[in-house]
Amino acid sequence: MAELEFERRLERMFADTPSFSDSDAFATAVEGRLDRGWMMRRWMIGTAGVVGGVFGTSQLLVSNLVGRVEDASDGSAKLLSASIAQLKPSLNILALMQSDTLLVWLAGGLAVVALGFVLTRVIEEI
Amino acid sequence: MSGGKSMRHTNLHDVELAGLAGAGDRGAFGELVRRHGSAVRGLVRRMGAANAEADDVAQDAFLAAFENIADYRGEGTFAGWVKRIAVRQYLRRLQRSKRLAAISAETAELEVSAGGVESLAVGKIDLDAALNALTLPERLSVGMCYGAGLSHVEAAEALNLPLGTVKSHVKRGLEKLRIRLASVSDVAAKGGVVHG
Repeated sequence: MAELEFERRLERMFADTPSFSDSDAFATAVEGRLDRGWMMRRWMIGTAGVVGGVFGTSQLLVSNLVGRVEDASDGSAKLLSASIAQLKPSLNILALMQSDTLLVWLAGGLAVVALGFVLTRVIEEI
Repeated sequence: MSGGKSMRHTNLHDVELAGLAGAGDRGAFGELVRRHGSAVRGLVRRMGAANAEADDVAQDAFLAAFENIADYRGEGTFAGWVKRIAVRQYLRRLQRSKRLAAISAETAELEVSAGGVESLAVGKIDLDAALNALTLPERLSVGMCYGAGLSHVEAAEALNLPLGTVKSHVKRGLEKLRIRLASVSDVAAKGGVVHG
């Protein structure tokens, strides 16, 4: 019984810690380290994004993707045109489009916007 | 703006602040550090760390707490939760610097500090002074169990020691503390100076 009482007294003594005079400075130091960690994380994400972007762009240029897409688009447009001509000879949809390359750039722009959205979400999650 | 935010934080409960910190509010976490920093630093000092080292350990513990704030769900006190983290951080530090190896040796009976209670004037002795009479293993074991609220099993796991060994350290440590604190009380009642 006395032992239990002593143990409780000891727990109270351990819990009874006086407040240090530099507790504000300590808290500021912890906050500073948190801020530094956060900044570093943001820089790392940013750097990774730039490196990834540069790498991706270089790969696109090297593989001449735009040219291939244009070729594919040309082929598709011709195929589509032929199909539409067969179905409705009077309707010429392709005439509404100024250029096939416009489609490519439009798709590319949408992809960039989607990528930006995804990247923003990822950063928010982190 | 930030001043108003800080004022708002001071009125919140720890659990609410932890929730805000979990949502990325570092100001809320700063308030938690302000509230419980001394308790965590004090515990690590009482476990035998020098002041500067105790502060480093406490800082690391709070940073780890921020990283894992989602794990704190309001079961138990926030201070208790961070104290447990701090204890483990301190043990890891001891392990890295090979200081924990002494604990594994059952015969390790090195005093943490040579200072006893003989030279202490009555009224000046407190838990901190009494803890100086304990060996490092005893001090760690007692601090973990009575300062951080770990069970003997948890302390044994953290120290990587058999349960029986930890229980022995705690028992011996408690006995020493009981004698030191009781002798001080007796002498204080008589109005003299503590001897042995």
